[in-house]
Amino acid sequence: MADYNPRILGFLCNWCCYAAADAAGVSRYQYPPNLRTVRVMCTGRVDPAFIIKGFIEGAAGIFTGG
Amino acid sequence: MEGEPGNFSVTLNLRPRFIDADKCTACGLCTTYCPRHLVDAYNEGLDLTRPIHIDYPQAVPATYFIDPNACLHLQHGTCKICVPVCRSHAIDFGQQPEKRTLAVGAVVMAPGFGRVPESTLAKYGYGAHPDVVTSIEFERMLNASGPFKGEVQRLSDRKHPKRIAFIQCVGSRDIGCDNGYCSSVCCMYAIKEAMVAKEHDPEVDITIFYMDIRTQGKDFDNARIRAEEHFGIKFVRAKVADVMPWREKIKITYATMDGRHAFEPFDMVVLSVGLDAPADARRLADIAGFELNKYDFCKTATFAPLATSRPGVLVAGAFQGPKDIPESVTQASAAAGSAAALLREQRKAGIVVKSYPDEKPVEEEEVRIGVFVCHCGINIGSVVDVPDVDRYVEGKEGVVYHAQTLYACSQDAQEVIKEKIREHNLNRVVVAACSPRTHEPLFQETLKDAGLNRCLFEMVNIRDQCSWVHANEPEAATDKSKDLVRMGIAKARHIQPLPEQTVPVTPRALILGGGPAGMTAALAIAEQGFECYLVEKASRLGGSLRDMHYMLDGSDPAKLLADLVARIEANDRIKVFTNATLKAVGGFVGNFSSVLAVKKGKGEQEQTVEHGVIVVATGGQEHRPDKYLLGQSKKVLTQTELEKRLAGRAKNRAPKSTVMIQCAGSRGDDLAYCSKVCCTHAVKNALKIKELDPSAQVIVLYRDLRTYGYAEDAYREAREKGVIFIPYEVDRKPQVVKKGNRVVVEFFDPLLQEEVSMTPEVVALSVGYVPQDTEQLSKLLKTPVTEHKFFMEAHVKLRPVEMAVDGVYVCGMAHSPKPLDEIIVQAQAAAAKAAMPLVKGEVEVEPIVSQVNKDLCIGCSLCVNLCPYQAIQMVKEGKKRKAETIAASCKACGICASHCPTFAISMGGFTNEQINAQIEAFGAQEEETTNG
Amino acid sequence: MGQTASERKGAVMVVGGGVAGVQTALDLTELGYYVYLVEKGAAVGGVMAQLDKTFPTNDCSL
Repeated sequence: MADYNPRILGFLCNWCCYAAADAAGVSRYQYPPNLRTVRVMCTGRVDPAFIIKGFIEGAAGIFTGG
Repeated sequence: MEGEPGNFSVTLNLRPRFIDADKCTACGLCTTYCPRHLVDAYNEGLDLTRPIHIDYPQAVPATYFIDPNACLHLQHGTCKICVPVCRSHAIDFGQQPEKRTLAVGAVVMAPGFGRVPESTLAKYGYGAHPDVVTSIEFERMLNASGPFKGEVQRLSDRKHPKRIAFIQCVGSRDIGCDNGYCSSVCCMYAIKEAMVAKEHDPEVDITIFYMDIRTQGKDFDNARIRAEEHFGIKFVRAKVADVMPWREKIKITYATMDGRHAFEPFDMVVLSVGLDAPADARRLADIAGFELNKYDFCKTATFAPLATSRPGVLVAGAFQGPKDIPESVTQASAAAGSAAALLREQRKAGIVVKSYPDEKPVEEEEVRIGVFVCHCGINIGSVVDVPDVDRYVEGKEGVVYHAQTLYACSQDAQEVIKEKIREHNLNRVVVAACSPRTHEPLFQETLKDAGLNRCLFEMVNIRDQCSWVHANEPEAATDKSKDLVRMGIAKARHIQPLPEQTVPVTPRALILGGGPAGMTAALAIAEQGFECYLVEKASRLGGSLRDMHYMLDGSDPAKLLADLVARIEANDRIKVFTNATLKAVGGFVGNFSSVLAVKKGKGEQEQTVEHGVIVVATGGQEHRPDKYLLGQSKKVLTQTELEKRLAGRAKNRAPKSTVMIQCAGSRGDDLAYCSKVCCTHAVKNALKIKELDPSAQVIVLYRDLRTYGYAEDAYREAREKGVIFIPYEVDRKPQVVKKGNRVVVEFFDPLLQEEVSMTPEVVALSVGYVPQDTEQLSKLLKTPVTEHKFFMEAHVKLRPVEMAVDGVYVCGMAHSPKPLDEIIVQAQAAAAKAAMPLVKGEVEVEPIVSQVNKDLCIGCSLCVNLCPYQAIQMVKEGKKRKAETIAASCKACGICASHCPTFAISMGGFTNEQINAQIEAFGAQEEETTNG
Repeated sequence: MGQTASERKGAVMVVGGGVAGVQTALDLTELGYYVYLVEKGAAVGGVMAQLDKTFPTNDCSL
């Protein structure tokens, strides 16, 4: 498992999860560097098609935070 | 300075810079040629600069200047090497000092604070030993762009110190140097510097010698706990008696509470220097004609904390009394509001509207992207390989220019961005730096200045969500940065200019809470010329002000209350609702519509009000711990109850013997936080008892006595009058027990080193404060609260009275517990901020709202049903029904766009095209990293 | 009284360009006033510009 390095695509809501991710940075919390994020103004913006497309593009998992 | 409020005439002396600010490009060439060295004052003398220099790259104005006392030409008429060196011919030795007279309506004094004299520092070995440094020198040492590039070094041998001592209260709480007050900030910065030093070198051993740790600000205690538990910083309560060189080290001799002496060697000693009055305070006071207090700070009164003794002259910041950044920022807003109210008639008479160049149409052009990758000092650069990310950008589709920048947000960098936009005809800009949530507006402004629509900008977050959270994985962080930048560029290829929109503002405020904060805010807004609704849950105005009976400075809270109520009643701009609560809120900044529930007899009546802003001032109340026999014995009172008794008329109202217990319920007891006011409250009541009966015995059991600022004088006075202060440790809390009819307090006396029990007439508990109704309100207003249920400000330092939701402001105890003068200032500050949209008369709508393409819309009205903000309506177009966005209500959430079956709805800045491009760029990683 | 700039109504002078002075000046402009910000040094920012980080979040101070 040590070599397992999944690529995760994230959709983060600007007001909550994106803000929280910023706050995690300000507090210097450390977490694994596997996430690549797309900022949206609300997770309501996340069309299911985006998620399918994310998997097609090779994401091992999709994270939506809102 | 002469004249009167509304019409002052002031004369200024302008000293020449000897450099033409319009021509200087801050390139720095002159400094490299200047032959003379000069001690760098900005770096506290730890570095060298040249007589022609700029203090730091981000300085505003970003213009170099010449120190006339050091310049060879200005001193000796020689040199002038810099003149031909400067390519923009900005150096002008012909500049002369200038006198200028200005007409102003009001003056705000904000000269800050001064330095503790070196003679005081010398008592701690400063000057005698190079490794005894001040806290501000240490601050510069820690700084990545400071004299040692962020490496902490001993000045004596340039080695890294392994043991560092901080000595608190240098030049504060010290009548030996005439600074009897507490400087209120040193404990915080010492903890901060100690933690940062630990981050730089986890091996370093740090001890802080202190009398009381005064981390009384909102959530400040958490940092102190983290310093101790997480960073292993040692806190030693001791009086430092002597600091002397000892071989290569420095020996500190100190006396602990139990009367023992000890000494320890350290490699470096940091003096936590206090804030002195500004050196030119006396001169300023003479010129502007206002009074100073006995410490040479500006003299003000508890109920009018920002008014100097001269009408029309206000004060803000540390000059009013030592204080930290959020307090200073709060005072600044409050002073601005007061000056604005004073000059209401002149509003907008003097303003100059900023104009922007015409927006360049870019729709028809090919995409030309410029990418700027920021080091953020070491914040990004020490983890992410910024040069590598910059190289990686080369050749990406659409990118015609890319560069690194040390601080992308600095003013000089903004100029560079503008220049590059023009030079390379850029029509999209990508900045990889910190968070768009904090810095996007700044860069968008730069784009506007350069003639681009501000939406042609995309920000990539490689600090908050990358370098900061992957500090130990530089390679992975660099890879992640590359991916994010690639995704940002992919999006940028598809971004389009969006039109600006504005909506009108209802020029009225809703103020929740009729205590001291709410009443002050209402009056301040009314004095700015706007109407307000003042909503109070109780049957009359007053709130916590009704619990206050006397103040430390002798002023009378009952008078203040009567005055506020009378002024509110006389002001026809203020409509008061008593017995009223907020039931629902709709709308957005500028256009709120709220439902108030007003009690009428046994029933309730609902009333809808329209307003543009909301000020939350719902206050707090004493916590009532279910401990210490509170409520079980009449002998156990809270400080507020004791105050009421002492203010009464009973003959024996001053108890013969009183034991006060601090933090009864606070700081890790029931409440995790410090309530800021209890220590001063205890001292105030103790002094009152002593005033009524000098022979009465008062004992105060405390953990850290937090009489910050001028309240320290009262603490000293109380000790002089025989009030006994005994500290206790949190693991040995005092106990209050019932023995028959008697109430006994048992505690450990560290001086005697034994358990003591007492049977006082009264036990007074300092119980702390809790907020009122914030949880329900937070749901209505959609504004977050802290873990302790106080409202959370938008930014702790820089936006202390604004909340996350636009148009909603907070003040008073709803924000955090605080004393009356701070409540008044914060209320004035919230009122000033709330008045801003009212003054403007319109708010700008972010151009990222949804838009319906009516050609594609089939009129299914799915979006109308889904929109949580009622921001889409159906309109008739000929015979068909089409959806249409109400821009001002739209929150840009995009639910409509993600559900539209015909893709007819587009979100500004978050289109399907753009997001799909980002996802594709995410997928493009593999093939690209193989050759990178 | 009132020589050079006396035509300008609605102006306020702020003495000191530290964080308090700068914030006062910014807020006054938002409230509709012209501001003269007077600083004795060569740049605004005051002591806050010398700080490395700020308590308790350790945000950059500049």
